[in-house]
Amino acid sequence: MLLEAKNVSKAFGSFEAVSGADLAVDEGEIIGLIGPNGAGKSTFFNCLAGDTLPTTGRIVFNGADVTRASPEAHARAGIGRTFQVPATFDDMTVIDNVMVGAFLRHLHRNDARDHARRIVDLTGLRPDQPARSLGTPGRKRLEIARVLATDPRLLLLDESLAGLTPTELRDAIALVRRIHEMGVTIVIVEHIMEVIMTLTKRVLVFNQGRVIASGTFEAVVKDEAVIEAYLGRGARRPPPYPPPQAGEGSSIFPPPHAGEG
Amino acid sequence: MKKILSPWGLLAAGLLLYPIIFSDPFYRDIGAAFLLAAVSASAWNIVGGYAGQVSVGHSMFFGLGAYMPLLFYTLWGWSPIAGIPAGILLSIALALVIGMPTFRLRGHYFSMATIAVAELIRIFFGTWNLVGAAIGLQGPATARAWWDLTFRSELPYYYIFLAVLGILLYVTFAIEHRRFGFYLRAIKASERAARSLGVPVRQTKMKALALSAAFTSAAGSLYAIKTGFIDPDSGFGILVSVQMVIVAALGGAGTLFGPLVGALILVPLQTAANTWFGGGGSGLTFILYGGVIVLIARFEPGGLFELWHRLAPRRWRRARAA
Repeated sequence: MLLEAKNVSKAFGSFEAVSGADLAVDEGEIIGLIGPNGAGKSTFFNCLAGDTLPTTGRIVFNGADVTRASPEAHARAGIGRTFQVPATFDDMTVIDNVMVGAFLRHLHRNDARDHARRIVDLTGLRPDQPARSLGTPGRKRLEIARVLATDPRLLLLDESLAGLTPTELRDAIALVRRIHEMGVTIVIVEHIMEVIMTLTKRVLVFNQGRVIASGTFEAVVKDEAVIEAYLGRGARRPPPYPPPQAGEGSSIFPPPHAGEG
Repeated sequence: MKKILSPWGLLAAGLLLYPIIFSDPFYRDIGAAFLLAAVSASAWNIVGGYAGQVSVGHSMFFGLGAYMPLLFYTLWGWSPIAGIPAGILLSIALALVIGMPTFRLRGHYFSMATIAVAELIRIFFGTWNLVGAAIGLQGPATARAWWDLTFRSELPYYYIFLAVLGILLYVTFAIEHRRFGFYLRAIKASERAARSLGVPVRQTKMKALALSAAFTSAAGSLYAIKTGFIDPDSGFGILVSVQMVIVAALGGAGTLFGPLVGALILVPLQTAANTWFGGGGSGLTFILYGGVIVLIARFEPGGLFELWHRLAPRRWRRARAA
């Protein structure tokens, strides 16, 4: 097992954002974390990335306890992450941004530059373009490139594919697939169900700080607790979920009237 | 040949030839003041410009560097040169002590903490008899030998300052192109993102502060040796810190030659204001600094260097189209 989070909780004062969450990730998996807004996904995600210290629980990565380790130590251990709002280094070019990541395992400038160039080529960005001039899709790609340059074993993607057009989304999904084929294990937080459905084999559903369901995408969307979390108490069980076309809607369930009549 | 004719080759040649072309002591003095301002601002630039940690208390290092040579001379009659490394070592030690708590703070809080520490040291030195309290210290009135660094002419000072500036620019250039420089710029843009990529943020900031403190201290030593006098206000006063920030910000904080450009504009302007208004214009420096802050903040936060970068390509494009 590559990553194991056991009974992870995080409280902010009296508010418990994450409550006793468990997650086990095997090497080579792609796992999706979904749930309504404010469900605790991002807080749990930040605990995994070392950005937030859990109140209780234990996180073990590759056999080592990383529960209280700093974000830098997480990166060194092989856990990379992206941010919900891209945090690119805007005064630097694309290649310089990626070199910051590459320097983690390539101490000399020329080595780091060569490594960064290979990664930039993979993501289809222009190396000498100033990061400031990139649009949202470019910045998200740059974030992925930058973290890839740290040679992570586990990649945590925090809504990295949100806000993209259908074409950009298809390209981004293909990029994540390529990264996965390179042997990187991926945990992805995403609201776009097309992404979750296309990429992941296993999904964890969060609601009110707890993991309320886990399993394949097809299984969790039929789960009563998940239906209640998304549609409210007393909602009718939706019909079997029809896979949407690329770029179609981002809701987990079709509208209530779909399939009726 | 091409290298010599590059803008920077011409700048180096200009700086080397300036005191020979302008042999009047008044102009040589302006030249030395320009170099000293450029050294101080370039030293500040390492931590304030590249790493984005805006210290407004760098006078604490400048003051320590300024006091040590004259203290060594006053206490033991040693050459002021002996005080320079002592000032540098003390400044590095102070940087490490100050950096540990203040680097937990970010943005304005860090700036305010540095002002507070510099002011505390200024007040402390103003009441400490060993360092001359409010009166301050004096250097050798007449030189016993060359190593007293007490020259009648401005020329030796000018070239000593120029050599230190050359070393500092070389160090900064080397930093820019190494991992350390990439890390500093990443920290400036987003500490959180930098940490997520494995950048040891605290350690990198401490290193930058220590290096910056060392060169700022050297600038202070040069100032005191040339002036032959130091007191708490001219060493640790807030104007000393503010000048470093303004000079770097005006030219372009976080750029290699930004502080030089800033000093090239601000120092002659200050000298002109002092010459025109004499003693009656003693508060004018504050007005000048305030005006520069407003102009930079309102029109060009990246400084003149960024303005040039933004406008130059457009001009080139136009020229090519024609």
